[in-house]
Amino acid sequence: MREEHGNVGPVMISKGEDPGDVRTDVPYQLITILSNLYPWMTDGKKIAVVTRKCDEKALAEFFKRGYFARDRVIQIGLACNREQIRQCRCSDPVPSVVDIGEPHGGLDTDALSEKLMAMSSEERLRFWEYQFRKCNKCFACTTNCPVCFCDECVLEERTFVPERGVPPGMSFHMIRAYHLSDKCIECGECERSCPAGIPLLTLRKLVARDFKEMYGFSPGDEKTVSPLLTTLEGESLDGDECDEC
Amino acid sequence: MPRIGVFICHCGHNIASTVSVEEVVRFASTLPGVIVADHNLYSCSEEGLDSIRKSIEQNKLDRVVVAACTPRTHEPLFRSVCEQAGVNKYLFEFVNIREHCSWIHAKEPANATEKAKRLVAMGVSKAALLEPQTEGESSVTPTALVIGGGLAGLRATASLVAQGIDTHLVEKESRLGGLLNDISALAPYSEDASTLLKELVDEVKASNKAHIHLNTKLQGVTGFVGNFNVVLNEAGKEKEVRAGAIIVATGARDFIPTGEYGYGSVPGVITQLEFERVLKTGEKPGRVVFIQCVGSRQPGREYCSRICCNTSLKNALKVVEAGGTATIVHRDIMSSGTVWEELYRNASEKGVQFIRYMLSDPPRIHKKATGIAAEVYDEALGERIEVDADRVVLATPLVSRVDSAEVGKLLKVPRDKHGFFLEAHVKLRPVEFATDGVFICGSARWPSSAKETMSQALGAAAKAAIPIKRGKVVIEAITAWVDADKCAACGNCVVSCPYEAIEIVEQDGKRVAKVNETQCKGCGACVAACPNDAMQQRGFTTRQLGAMIDSLVKHALEESP
Amino acid sequence: MTEFKPTILAFCCNWCSYAGADLAGVSRLQMPPNVHVVRVMCSASVKPEYVMKAISQGIDGVLVLGCHVGDCHYMTGNHRTAKRMPVVQKILKDIGLNEKRVRLDWVSAAEGEKFQKVIVDFVDEVAKLGPNPLKEVRF
Ligand code: SF4
Ligand code: SF4
Ligand code: FES
Repeated sequence: MREEHGNVGPVMISKGEDPGDVRTDVPYQLITILSNLYPWMTDGKKIAVVTRKCDEKALAEFFKRGYFARDRVIQIGLACNREQIRQCRCSDPVPSVVDIGEPHGGLDTDALSEKLMAMSSEERLRFWEYQFRKCNKCFACTTNCPVCFCDECVLEERTFVPERGVPPGMSFHMIRAYHLSDKCIECGECERSCPAGIPLLTLRKLVARDFKEMYGFSPGDEKTVSPLLTTLEGESLDGDECDEC
Repeated sequence: MPRIGVFICHCGHNIASTVSVEEVVRFASTLPGVIVADHNLYSCSEEGLDSIRKSIEQNKLDRVVVAACTPRTHEPLFRSVCEQAGVNKYLFEFVNIREHCSWIHAKEPANATEKAKRLVAMGVSKAALLEPQTEGESSVTPTALVIGGGLAGLRATASLVAQGIDTHLVEKESRLGGLLNDISALAPYSEDASTLLKELVDEVKASNKAHIHLNTKLQGVTGFVGNFNVVLNEAGKEKEVRAGAIIVATGARDFIPTGEYGYGSVPGVITQLEFERVLKTGEKPGRVVFIQCVGSRQPGREYCSRICCNTSLKNALKVVEAGGTATIVHRDIMSSGTVWEELYRNASEKGVQFIRYMLSDPPRIHKKATGIAAEVYDEALGERIEVDADRVVLATPLVSRVDSAEVGKLLKVPRDKHGFFLEAHVKLRPVEFATDGVFICGSARWPSSAKETMSQALGAAAKAAIPIKRGKVVIEAITAWVDADKCAACGNCVVSCPYEAIEIVEQDGKRVAKVNETQCKGCGACVAACPNDAMQQRGFTTRQLGAMIDSLVKHALEESP
Repeated sequence: MTEFKPTILAFCCNWCSYAGADLAGVSRLQMPPNVHVVRVMCSASVKPEYVMKAISQGIDGVLVLGCHVGDCHYMTGNHRTAKRMPVVQKILKDIGLNEKRVRLDWVSAAEGEKFQKVIVDFVDEVAKLGPNPLKEVRF
């Protein structure tokens, strides 16, 4: 990220170029940008990208789906600062190699998650209903999400989201939660992008916790070679065959 | 706008005594797109079908909905009526208001009628979105593959090559014949086993259509009916062959006792198969005690191996004929059927002794100074008796081969808990697997006599010849397809397909998923995996199923009183 | 007050559960008329999106029925169903709905009685939960 005329934005430089006023304290989804860039990199050359831990995990999800060749992406590890960690309620902020910044420990809890799960389900429903009512279907969350791979979003159509208007209704958010369940890397970009201020990261965290409990899996995990909800790799295929057949 | 015709069946009283058919007809005629709604006393009768046919023609219908029994039995019938009337058979939708409504809500006619209406509405909403389909066809490799060179495999191969079909016969041992090599004679008439084997082997070898692979194992199978690609391992070397159909004839092996009845410790205690070898040598058998059900019909291996009683009867007769004595210690003599019962009677008339024992008190074997003694509690006498013998023959069951697990996995065909293969349907499809193009015969399925094995082998060969002779296989149009514009090439579908029918390809400069329609079996697993609604299954598109949900919401929640 | 009668949607795979439902019918096993069966080829083709859609539109409960694990006509189809549906249930829970509104179960072609039992149980359970609150939550 570079600061120019008082604004911070992503920058791409080629070998030997001066990076200028580099900023490392502004969270930004560079992987989303990389995913738009990569198809144009037809010369087979390599690209380096500054990666926080979450970016590293997002890259893993890209690699396992064959979107990027592993050897064409060089990672420059960036450790997030305390304030960033606090904002993301991030539990896992240190990249595997720290090239920039001081590593700081993660946070164990997300206060809002705790609060929500302590509520009765009626209260929780009321909370989300209130939040989702604010949704104006701008698709900022999906556009900026690094692991939303589709070009056209299924939530834009009526097939599964019956309501035509704004707000889009519950299925919009439930389906998005499902689609992200085996790939969301909790970078918090959706929440930062949401103009309505819906605590989307908290919803992601709630689902992620369940997912981890059920399958012992967190997205960004390089060990599972393909998307968890579709693969059967390494699973026992024992059944409870019906005795009557 | 579609022109839908809805036909509600009374099914005599079966539906009409619970569901008010007239009311459903009235309701159906108000649904969007419905041009005509009618009812038949029996839609599937000649009269009913005729009236549907006429209505299609008169009203120029292009979608047909029948609300009646179950598509599992009657769909083909109504589909063919549509075709006769010039409507593509995939523009037909079946609504089940008998099994799923009138029969199970017999005491609630009003509620059942309401439910029938909703079901019809759901069907109509799907029908409106149906699209005509053409069934795919794929060519067939005119070659068969037979796995196992025993009696079953040989017989099947002989039959296939006689029909002019090139056949690869794969045998893992260095010689053909399998268990038949060890057997002296075949029950019930004691034909010489080696003569039969020689005849079969000669017949197969004489044909230039038969390609025999000895010392060969199955290593990999991909593909589907009509076009299987098979990797063989022939004496350590990999070899690829292609086949249109595959017959599994891997047979079984005899159970080797683990120390029961002094096996391995008392000399002269041998298994039936070992005794067959003795008989082959022509050696005098002497006094022989046969013990039945060694290792079968007991907890852990509950099944009856079916052939051991007859084998013991046959061998006991041989013993007696050779001047020896024979006693069969059994739990029940399983020799049902005309020739076998005769064999049993013959044996008892010729002096074979029968003693019945119980599982709770099995015979005890001990070594004597000369020979062996079998101590049996004779149920009939109510006392313990001792029978002297030179040989104790243990009739052990046929058990599945260890490598059948491997074969099952490679071919993706099921086995039962004892490791025997499972056919598609016991009565309707006895020599086929549920997987198209893969067939089964002989003792790999279940312990079978030589005669049964041969008839199964002939059946399997005849079945396997069908796709090969036809030269093509029809693919039901329920396969998946990709909307390339939407596809993000995420690969979810690729991993989710149980048949590896999908790959990511480059198309117009874009990476997209592509379904190999001849390989697709139409399960729809990929549809559920696709995050972007790009993957669709013919006849079950997300729009069609979505419309059914919308329709249920509309009629159950919004318009209910 | 009239008794609450839930509206339930059931997806049944063609090879086992739909056949099991047919068998229940042939055996005249009686059950409440709240369940609407949609036939699909395999439980693995049931998109979680359908379930979300139905629930968000106010359907009181969704049943997904397939062959017993290990018996799927498409070999490993229902292994995938078994993996997906629990995630759907958790999302329901996280959002403040009762996860019991969605149930995954296995009914073979020979299990007419099991089909009846599943239907009776599920209808009963959903009736106890009361109407789907999203019916009222109209945005
Ligand atoms: S429908 Fe089933 S068999 Fe066909 S491509 Fe999709 S996952 Fe594979
Ligand atoms: S799952 Fe859908 S988006 Fe992904 S590759 Fe397959 S068809 Fe394309
Ligand atoms: S076919 Fe029944 S669950 Fe797959």
